Amino acid sequence: MLSLTDKAWSPYAAGVVIGLLQIPAFLLADTALGASSSFVSVAGYVASVFDPAVRDMDYFAKYMTSTKYAWQSALVVGIALGALISTRLAKTRRPRMSPLWRAALPVSGFGGRAAMAFAGGFVMLFGARMAGGCTSGHGISGVGQLAVGSILTIVAMFVGGIAVAMMYRKV
Amino acid sequence: MTVLWLVILGLAMGLVFGIALEKGRVFEPGVMIGQFQLRSWIMLKMFLTAIATGLVVLAVLNGSGLAPLHPKGTEYLNNLIGGLIFGAGIAIAGACPGTVLAQIGAGYKDSWFILAGAIFGAMAYGYAEPVLGPALSGGPGKLTIAEMTGLPYWALALILAAVIAGGLVFLERWRPWRDDLGTDYTGVPTGSSAHHPSGLAHPAE
Repeated sequence: MLSLTDKAWSPYAAGVVIGLLQIPAFLLADTALGASSSFVSVAGYVASVFDPAVRDMDYFAKYMTSTKYAWQSALVVGIALGALISTRLAKTRRPRMSPLWRAALPVSGFGGRAAMAFAGGFVMLFGARMAGGCTSGHGISGVGQLAVGSILTIVAMFVGGIAVAMMYRKV
Repeated sequence: MTVLWLVILGLAMGLVFGIALEKGRVFEPGVMIGQFQLRSWIMLKMFLTAIATGLVVLAVLNGSGLAPLHPKGTEYLNNLIGGLIFGAGIAIAGACPGTVLAQIGAGYKDSWFILAGAIFGAMAYGYAEPVLGPALSGGPGKLTIAEMTGLPYWALALILAAVIAGGLVFLERWRPWRDDLGTDYTGVPTGSSAHHPSGLAHPAE
């Protein structure tokens, strides 16, 4: 049986749980699972502090007015809370950064990794918004709906990810 | 639907999502980069399982007329170039837009910088969109394999779910998931330089 105190579930159990989330997404929220749109909502609000004109830009305005993105923003906050609870119940403690970085790259300190993390986050979200979605929206939801654009995006995502990761030291 | 109800629903669904990401270990940079280096298979197993489950769920919901589908539009250049950039960004960040929040919840401190970069990346795209969006647009719009083939979505969805399930059985026989958990469930294999005090990549602290 699955328990919240387990350190790990099989990827199959975890995948089924995530797939089942499409039931409340489609029936209660009338949308598909996704995550990256909420970053545009937050970015719009942050930008509007310095540049009130963003509210009149069609792209930002869409993500700042629709209630769908209030749902999705709450979803991503919930992801952090869920992972926090799960980690605590399993008594799994994480270091400041994954040991992967020291094994795979000549990154020694936290500062170098922090700079890389910021740059990676920037590139990641820029690409996701250009493609119109992320691993959740295009991947789990889009491929699941057999959408052609989503299948293309996810294939390109794996190609881009493999191309970069293959330059790292294999751990 | 009120905003408050949607926020409560989103929080509740996010809690379950976050627990599944943490228990499944897919949020670990060692698991995601490991998948891209083709040495770890947890991410693909979980991703395909979630898709197959979603296919069955949507075959029932859509096939019975309970819920319409919400496919995203197809724009070839935006999808392909954006997807490539997105994948490269995941490999640099070690996270995707959902898992970065799980990393923060689990306690990785560098993930706060991924989150900040991601918000600025979304902002940069928002400012570039009036030019970039139209320049890279062009495609059939909302198009699914079901529409292309003229076959019912529910039938194709169930067939694909069965094909994925079969593929996962072989994948698991070839490479059991426990083999990829790594030291302390980080997805970084035992014996890698990360765990050797004398390892080249492990500086004195």
